[in-house]
Amino acid sequence: MKILLVEDNERVSQFVVKGLQEAGHTVDHAGNGRDGMFLAASEPYDVIIMDRMLPGEIDGLAIIEVLRKAGKRTPILILSALSEVDDRIRGLRSGGDDYLTKPFAFGELLARLDALHRRAQGVNAEAPLTVGDLHMDPLTRKVTRGSRPIALQPREFKLLEYLMRHAGQVVTRTMLLENVWDYHFDPQTNVVDVHISKLRQKIDAEFERPLLRTVRNAGYTVTTDE
Amino acid sequence: MLRSSALSLAFGYIALGIIALVLFAAPLWYAWQVTIQEGRIEILQVDAQRLAEVYRREGADGMRSFIDTRVRMQIASERILLLTDESLHPLSGNLPVWPADVPLVPGNYKVRMELGDQGTQMALVHVATLGKYHLLVGRDNALFAPLQTRFWYGLAAAIAVLSIAGLLIGLITRRALMSRVHSIRQTVSAIIHGDLKHRLPTHLNDDELNTLSRTINGMLEQIELLVHGVRNVSNSIAHDLRTPLAELRSRLEELALIRPSPEETFAEVDGAVADVDRVIRIFDALLRLAEIDAGMRRSGFVPLDISDLTANAVEFYAPAAELRNIDLASHSEGALTVSGDPVLLAQALSNLIDNALKFAPENGAVNVTVRNRFDGTVEVSVSDNGPGISDSEKSKVMERFYRGDASRGTPGVGLGLSLAQAVAKLHGSTLELSDQNPGLRVAFSLPLEEAQTAAHAAAPQKSAAAEQAVPATVASG
Repeated sequence: MKILLVEDNERVSQFVVKGLQEAGHTVDHAGNGRDGMFLAASEPYDVIIMDRMLPGEIDGLAIIEVLRKAGKRTPILILSALSEVDDRIRGLRSGGDDYLTKPFAFGELLARLDALHRRAQGVNAEAPLTVGDLHMDPLTRKVTRGSRPIALQPREFKLLEYLMRHAGQVVTRTMLLENVWDYHFDPQTNVVDVHISKLRQKIDAEFERPLLRTVRNAGYTVTTDE
Repeated sequence: MLRSSALSLAFGYIALGIIALVLFAAPLWYAWQVTIQEGRIEILQVDAQRLAEVYRREGADGMRSFIDTRVRMQIASERILLLTDESLHPLSGNLPVWPADVPLVPGNYKVRMELGDQGTQMALVHVATLGKYHLLVGRDNALFAPLQTRFWYGLAAAIAVLSIAGLLIGLITRRALMSRVHSIRQTVSAIIHGDLKHRLPTHLNDDELNTLSRTINGMLEQIELLVHGVRNVSNSIAHDLRTPLAELRSRLEELALIRPSPEETFAEVDGAVADVDRVIRIFDALLRLAEIDAGMRRSGFVPLDISDLTANAVEFYAPAAELRNIDLASHSEGALTVSGDPVLLAQALSNLIDNALKFAPENGAVNVTVRNRFDGTVEVSVSDNGPGISDSEKSKVMERFYRGDASRGTPGVGLGLSLAQAVAKLHGSTLELSDQNPGLRVAFSLPLEEAQTAAHAAAPQKSAAAEQAVPATVASG
């Protein structure tokens, strides 16, 4: 992916740029609003990471609004130290696609960037999903592994659907909370893990190769890779 | 001093008073003058007619002797009489000479003339021509002069009294006002210097300044409360972040000192990251609490189905309950629309359910119930059959960071109940803790949406009939 990072804090920038490069992405960095706006408007990026509060006369939300008005549809992840619910809503309303509060775990950022990129490539909500021998038909709501049908409760279906739509990518607990349960807070327990292990029981327990895997310190992924 | 509001007000009133006085006196003065003049002219004309009568009956000599008699008898001291021949030679009367200002044409005149011992006086005269003789009948104004003077003095005195009294009242008002403003200023400057305990002095009466003082006192009360709250929160933050920060610090310091193998170092670093995450979690919870307490989240109020929200929360915790064989069930009476903040309500409910699951025994039961109270509110309650909370602990559990004896060794930072309490407060309610014998029941209420209140009041039997327990999950095993 070609990623633009607009962030004024040097420490954070260094950490993010290095991490993204290690993950195999190309990263441009702008330290202020004006450079950020210039780069975002002139270069083709897959994803933009935008710090909300920037030095100088242009702040992150203003840049996003300008870009959106100019017809740029590049997915944008807003990075902010403002954690209040209203701030989040305001950020997304200005045209941002996702919102991540500082301080954040790098794994969370990476997973969200992948998800944004995948979403931007356009998904057919009705097309069947396949990971290895696991199949899901969003229309008939049928799930099979190999030839065996798997009965899922509605929420389990939604959970698996989200994981399969992001197959091969890491999905964090927060992303699952937000997208599967629409919970925008931290329940401070491991309930998500319990849901995952229940789902795992249904789709993996009786098969040789597990598809739903835990990624240490990050989240989960559905993949056929070893 | 002239810029004092009390004084300028007083000056304004004085000017207004003077204008009113003059407006009152001027027409009076005018009417008085006109009436007197008309009456006197009439009298003069009657006098002149009587003299003309005498002239007609007794001729010039008769008239002369008549005038002489009247002058001699001094019938009226203010009376002026003069009879002259055609060459203006005085024949009779009390004027030595025909006044220069009075023309010989018959009519009424107002002139200033020399009147012997009385000096120069304003006089009203009537001139008549009788044959070849000229007759002048007049009266001077001496009689009315003192009255006029008194009128003017009276007016002047009234104006003087008005001015002095007005000025005095203005000064007194200014003094009183200044002293009250001074005391307010002292209080306010004490507050500016950080002592929020001060209040503005108020009196029993309800004048403008007092009303203002009371309003300001109310504001100060609220500010003190808020500042106190902020202080409390920052103290708690300082206290409760110190522990994980201290752990983190010693972990890192130890790492630097011992320099263990890379494997161990990575494990320690992971531990350090977990410590930091714990600090962040406490921080986020506190920020959220502060945000709710500040009442800023009221903008997030929307109509929502509380039964649905509750069922979702129960469903979310169902697998966790299943793990410990706890029967977690939700009971509701069908859709109930309330006005609330969905994010916060979900969080509060999840905290309450999480708590209940922590304290319910293995194979226990946790019930989440939504009940229409038919008084315009909906009650949401979460009950468990765990050890419960002793009465002495009930008030403490709502305090921030308080962790009861039973919660030792369980995960959590001790903010769950205070957050639920803050959310309940934001929705105009409060958390009620009651005993289940055994177990704890936590309940709060939410305001029903208007339309729903009316509909349910109309058909309470119907919704009661629809009541049914909807078990979200059946305990396995």
